[in-house]
Amino acid sequence: MPLISLNNLSKIYPLGNQQIVAVQELDLRIEAGEFAVLAGPSGSGKTTVLNIVGALDTPSTGRVRVDGCDYREMKPKALADFRLRRIGFIFQSYNLIPVLTAAENAEFTLMLQGVAPKARRAKISALFAELGIAGLEERRPNDLSGGQQQRVAIARAIAPEPAVILADEPTANLDSHTAEDLLQLMRRLNREKGTTFLFSSHDPLVIAHAERVISLRDGRLENDIRQEIG
Amino acid sequence: METLLLAWRNVWRNRRRTLITILAMSFSLMLIQAFHNLSFGVYAQMVDSGVRSGSGHIAVYRGDYALSRDDRLLWVMDEMGVMGVMGNLQTRITALDGVKAVLPRIYLPALAQSSRESRGILLTGIDPIAENGINPLLKQIDAPALIKSLDGRDALVGSRLLSELKLKVGNKFVVTAQGPEGQLVSELLRIRGLVKSGIREVDGSLVMVGRQRAALMTGQSEAIHELAVILENPDLEEKLLPLIGAMLPADSGLNAVSWELAMANLANAIKLDYASQKFIFLIIVLIVTIGVVNTLLMSVMERIREFGVILAVGASPARLRATVMTEALLLGAVSMLFGNLLGALATWYLVEIGIDLRDFIPETMEFGGVVFDPVMRAAWDINYMLQMSAYVLLLSVIASLYPAAKAARIAPAVAMRHH
Repeated sequence: MPLISLNNLSKIYPLGNQQIVAVQELDLRIEAGEFAVLAGPSGSGKTTVLNIVGALDTPSTGRVRVDGCDYREMKPKALADFRLRRIGFIFQSYNLIPVLTAAENAEFTLMLQGVAPKARRAKISALFAELGIAGLEERRPNDLSGGQQQRVAIARAIAPEPAVILADEPTANLDSHTAEDLLQLMRRLNREKGTTFLFSSHDPLVIAHAERVISLRDGRLENDIRQEIG
Repeated sequence: METLLLAWRNVWRNRRRTLITILAMSFSLMLIQAFHNLSFGVYAQMVDSGVRSGSGHIAVYRGDYALSRDDRLLWVMDEMGVMGVMGNLQTRITALDGVKAVLPRIYLPALAQSSRESRGILLTGIDPIAENGINPLLKQIDAPALIKSLDGRDALVGSRLLSELKLKVGNKFVVTAQGPEGQLVSELLRIRGLVKSGIREVDGSLVMVGRQRAALMTGQSEAIHELAVILENPDLEEKLLPLIGAMLPADSGLNAVSWELAMANLANAIKLDYASQKFIFLIIVLIVTIGVVNTLLMSVMERIREFGVILAVGASPARLRATVMTEALLLGAVSMLFGNLLGALATWYLVEIGIDLRDFIPETMEFGGVVFDPVMRAAWDINYMLQMSAYVLLLSVIASLYPAAKAARIAPAVAMRHH
């Protein structure tokens, strides 16, 4: 059974008297352990698909199954809990909570899960070391570079050991050198931990690192290519 | 704990706005507490002064004398059957814990005549020894000018009445009242001292004599209208009123009433003033509530994107709601603490130093028929202060309901597109 399964998925947004079709009749399957990117120009529907997979948005029609769960059968509270335990998010603007330190930000999802403070701190310390940001635990987001903030965001996403990490344009605010570093880091996590990554990006660098490139155009699947990564 | 920590840090995100809100709430609490305590102190002093010169904290009357002031409602302790093995009523009430004095009094409407003028007066018969040191009307009078005996002809006269009758201390004048059969009864009295209460009505109509001298005009030397019970502490009234009531024989027609009933003018004036204060306090509370709602709403609106992220990573709307409400609670708690500190400092100043109105108001001030001290002093009403503190907390939480609901209704996908 695929980790992510989208069947005949459509999403239509009402805009005044008009209807904007963001995604049309999309069928997609992503297996566990994949490192895939939803590629396409702005307005192609990649963020919409990512939001629907992440249970942040609901499809107008179609069916979504992630990690064996059918979203249609789940209530909002169950969806929130599913997001907490089975999905990790990495955002374009890092979206760390400014009043929390780097370590507290990374611990946030564990805290929501009710993990004890000592266990949380131990796990985050190990993750910070793994992600190359050891020693930055007590800094606030404003005192970190973009790359460092994104690493903290990655730590927050992977800390609960989710089934899939959804990354929306994760390199958009980073210089190419930092972006390259981060992509290699995520690739390593994918290989070593088997974490599934699904990106949405039009950054050629991200596309170059992905094993699978799912191209969307006007909300429809244009191409679905698997590529060899060196 | 984490929610509390996160909320605490969120509260201080915008220090200036938070400080302004806390200051507004604290100053409002201080104003409400300090002004209430000032009124509480002034009213306590007025009630104290009023009950000492008037009905006492508790008064024993016959029939509906408290309301009708019908001078025929006289009573004599022996005749009313209130003498018993425990002694007479006055003695038994005096023996109760918390009773400072029991003052028998008689009030007779009469006419005072000098050789040149005549005026309507209230002839008040008192027990001079018992009243001395208790009745504020006697406090300003030097000892030699006080009346001494129950049946002497010495009288204390209101200062205005004295000048209207064109008399001087030491002069004699005649008082005429209606006797028991409707006949006119006159007594010749000698002015021994002056009463300067500052209350126009009192100074213009008061003639005080020994209780028996006044009562003789009714034909019964032991007759009284009122047994005024002065308590050590006004709070004891609630406890002692039923006890005193129970001492009165059921068929005597006597009843014990509180000062609020006996001195309805003063009680109503205080109630009215408290009511108008409450209205002002309500406006203050409303302004503060709007301030808190504004602060929290701005804080929520500024964090819509962040709330979207928090929801996206798995927080439940209930948790978000709890965070916003905890922020409000903390805002309220800090304001409550600071407000209480300011309120306590202001009250302390008003208790110790007070507000001296003597430079602004040259004449004595009267309120509800009672003179009050031109140096207004507060008194601690701790219960009220605690109650207001709890209101501030409650108000903060109530004010957070809408912002918290708004935060919980945020759709994460939409919120994350918010800039």
